[in-house]
Amino acid sequence: MKVRYFALLREATHKREEEWTRPAPDVRTLVNDLVALYGEPFAKWVMKDGDLYGFTAILLDGKDVRGRGGLDCSLEGVAEVDIFPPLAGG
Amino acid sequence: MGMMLTIHPEKCTGCRNCELACALEHGGDFRIKASRIHVYAWEREAFSVPMMCQQCSDASCVTVCMPKAMHRNPATGLVEYDASKCIGCKMCVQACAFGNAAWDALTASILKCDTCDGDPACAKICPTGALEWTDDDLAVQARKKSFATKIKNAFSEAQS
Amino acid sequence: MNGWMGKILRVDLGSGKISTERLDPKTARDYLGARGLGTKIMWDEVDPNVDPLSPENKLIFAPGPFSGTFAPSSGRYDVVTKGPLTGTIAASNSGGSFGAELKFAGWDAVILEGKAAKPTWLSIVDDVVELRDASRLWGKDVPETTEALYAEASEDSKVACIGPAGERMVLFASIMNEMQRAAGRTGVGAVMGSKNLKAIVVRGSKGVKVADKDAFVAACGEASRKIKEHPVGGTGLRLYGTNVLVNILNSIGGLPTNNFQTGHFANADMVGGETLAANQLQRPRGCFACIISCGRGTKVTNPKYKGEGEGPEYETAWGFGPDCGIDDLDAVIKANYICNELGLDTISMGGTVACAVEMFDKGIITLEDTEGLDLRSGNAEAMVEAVRLTGIGEGFGKKLALGSYRLASLYGHPEMSMTAKKQEMPAYEPRAVQGIGLNYATNNRGGCHVRGYTISPEVLGVPVKYDKDATEGKPELVAMFQNLTGAIDSSGACLFTTFGIGADDYAAMLTALTGVKYTGDDFVKCGERVWNLERLWNNRSGFTAADDAIPERLTTVPMPTGPSKGAVSHVKEMMPHYYAVRGWDAEGRPTPEKLAELELA
Repeated sequence: MKVRYFALLREATHKREEEWTRPAPDVRTLVNDLVALYGEPFAKWVMKDGDLYGFTAILLDGKDVRGRGGLDCSLEGVAEVDIFPPLAGG
Repeated sequence: MGMMLTIHPEKCTGCRNCELACALEHGGDFRIKASRIHVYAWEREAFSVPMMCQQCSDASCVTVCMPKAMHRNPATGLVEYDASKCIGCKMCVQACAFGNAAWDALTASILKCDTCDGDPACAKICPTGALEWTDDDLAVQARKKSFATKIKNAFSEAQS
Repeated sequence: MNGWMGKILRVDLGSGKISTERLDPKTARDYLGARGLGTKIMWDEVDPNVDPLSPENKLIFAPGPFSGTFAPSSGRYDVVTKGPLTGTIAASNSGGSFGAELKFAGWDAVILEGKAAKPTWLSIVDDVVELRDASRLWGKDVPETTEALYAEASEDSKVACIGPAGERMVLFASIMNEMQRAAGRTGVGAVMGSKNLKAIVVRGSKGVKVADKDAFVAACGEASRKIKEHPVGGTGLRLYGTNVLVNILNSIGGLPTNNFQTGHFANADMVGGETLAANQLQRPRGCFACIISCGRGTKVTNPKYKGEGEGPEYETAWGFGPDCGIDDLDAVIKANYICNELGLDTISMGGTVACAVEMFDKGIITLEDTEGLDLRSGNAEAMVEAVRLTGIGEGFGKKLALGSYRLASLYGHPEMSMTAKKQEMPAYEPRAVQGIGLNYATNNRGGCHVRGYTISPEVLGVPVKYDKDATEGKPELVAMFQNLTGAIDSSGACLFTTFGIGADDYAAMLTALTGVKYTGDDFVKCGERVWNLERLWNNRSGFTAADDAIPERLTTVPMPTGPSKGAVSHVKEMMPHYYAVRGWDAEGRPTPEKLAELELA
């Protein structure tokens, strides 16, 4: 499974993407492992009060987890996870 | 030791919030032509620099002011302007090498940064920290350190 | 008056007559200023069936009540006219300091009428208003013109001008102020050119007065705090600019690619905000009173595309990038610089080149048609040259100057123009995001994102996340965003303040500033009033429900590739409900009840 980072999360991870090989049945497991690995600079844009930060977009093969189960979304069969910190433009 | 307004032009976005805050603080409305601080922009290069009284130690505005309206406050080290003594000769305007004293015809007075009595509204509103109200000796150290950081980063990038 | 300056300047370019009028307090209260005030003046004074490029059309520059104050990120102005690209009522919004300077000179609006006999510029120094000869400036680009006027007028002036594109009446010519800020959309620059007006130079020494200083300082402080604490308004936009959107739109399959043929571009990241921040970005820039600083001071050192200036925004990077199949950010930025210098709207320029590229790839136009320009998808050099030729009116650029709808129609393929009401749609694929398609279709100035930016909830989750693929609830969402934006534009505030504050915050600032009591609902009602007045104007100039549409491709051809593969836009299905939500009849006409409610009857 490929995990890709954007905007401030590239600063936090010093990566654009990586191949994720650890077992990750659901988004919660993946995010917890990423938080443990990259610490506060990563966590502060992704988590809030133990849940996913409402402005943070985690896309599983292009589908946003928000409104579709959030952290409980299964990662089975997912090839690409894109994680965006809060952002906007226009 | 005193306090000073430090300018970091590399952080200035050209938003002119400093001019607005200064005008409101001193005049009660947003007449920014009467602001004591002005931001000059180079539009082709998208660069801008805020300018206001530098509070010179050897201040030409003080030297030329005959009625001593422009004077140094020994306690703060700042150059202060006493409007009640001003005769409107505008010598300070002519003397300031930086152009940081100006004559306001509407109020018939000199416009010069008074640091809002030690709590400058411009620095408070500046959204990027391009204007900072700091100890006058430490301000220099901070600038040094910020430049040192750039050198350090350049080295880190070169090595990685 | 407080907030407002209380005066309107009227200049008849034909006769040279200059006059002053009082701003009616009720009009100010109901329409705020900027877009709203300009639209009201157009409604009262101009026949909606006027030829946009004739002397009978008027051109109105208007700041809002917030402009010239430190209401956070709120120093903007609008140019209102009948737009030559769309034939609709047109208002184009710009930042920088120009709008604030108009206020400092004492004006809530400048109405330009008629047509000057020869190239002219307008000098406004407080109450001293003069028309001056601009023969020497005609033909000069925007930076040259601006600098010449600084030298002739005063370095402290603010200049809004057209470039060669506006002079030649390119249908999507912009008006540029302070070189880098654009009233870009709908061809307002062509209207200025049609009037032989090269520039407006303004300098003011007055102050904007505040009704309740303490309350205003408190309300602005509160609004400012909310924007700064918001992760988007306070951090993200300054670091990456609006162009940070390239990647997320691409990741959801909503980045229009190769003229909206699909919604995914493999090399999108190469033209995104992160790449820009790492390479060409010099420093963030802010408009007047801005605390967000999304502007990009940039520099390109690559000799082929060398230059410096401001930009690109997201829509610009997309238009010259993925929409033309291009992944070279240096070339994209160069195209942006050329647009700023020659005075062109980057979105319509990008969309028009993209349309030509598709026609070229499909063999509808050939090298013979393009006069040797190899416009195949991905050819960055040809794209940049196409932009330049459009601005200076040479070669194939003369056809590109018509915009994509007229261009594609010339070759018998209007369906390849990705426009709504003949204006190029921006950087969000309606098949991938349902609400934005409805906004494009119903927008009073055609293909436009900023007047109903549902991308915020549908993609970004700000303030809350909506399902982008759902149609339910979208008509309500679109109408709500359109109404709120109508009020924000009219107030002089920047749309991006919504990344932090809401209707009640604007109302609190407006009440303290003007002394006129506004609730959040009153504020939004102003926006709804403006929206409906624009609609009335458009209906009166011949637009019907049939014009509330986006290209057939988007509603009939399923997205071929990417994460949104298989999706189509359901604009047609949503339309009846949108009309109902608006209080309009089945033909899209505001009902008498709605007009009475908005005091428009």
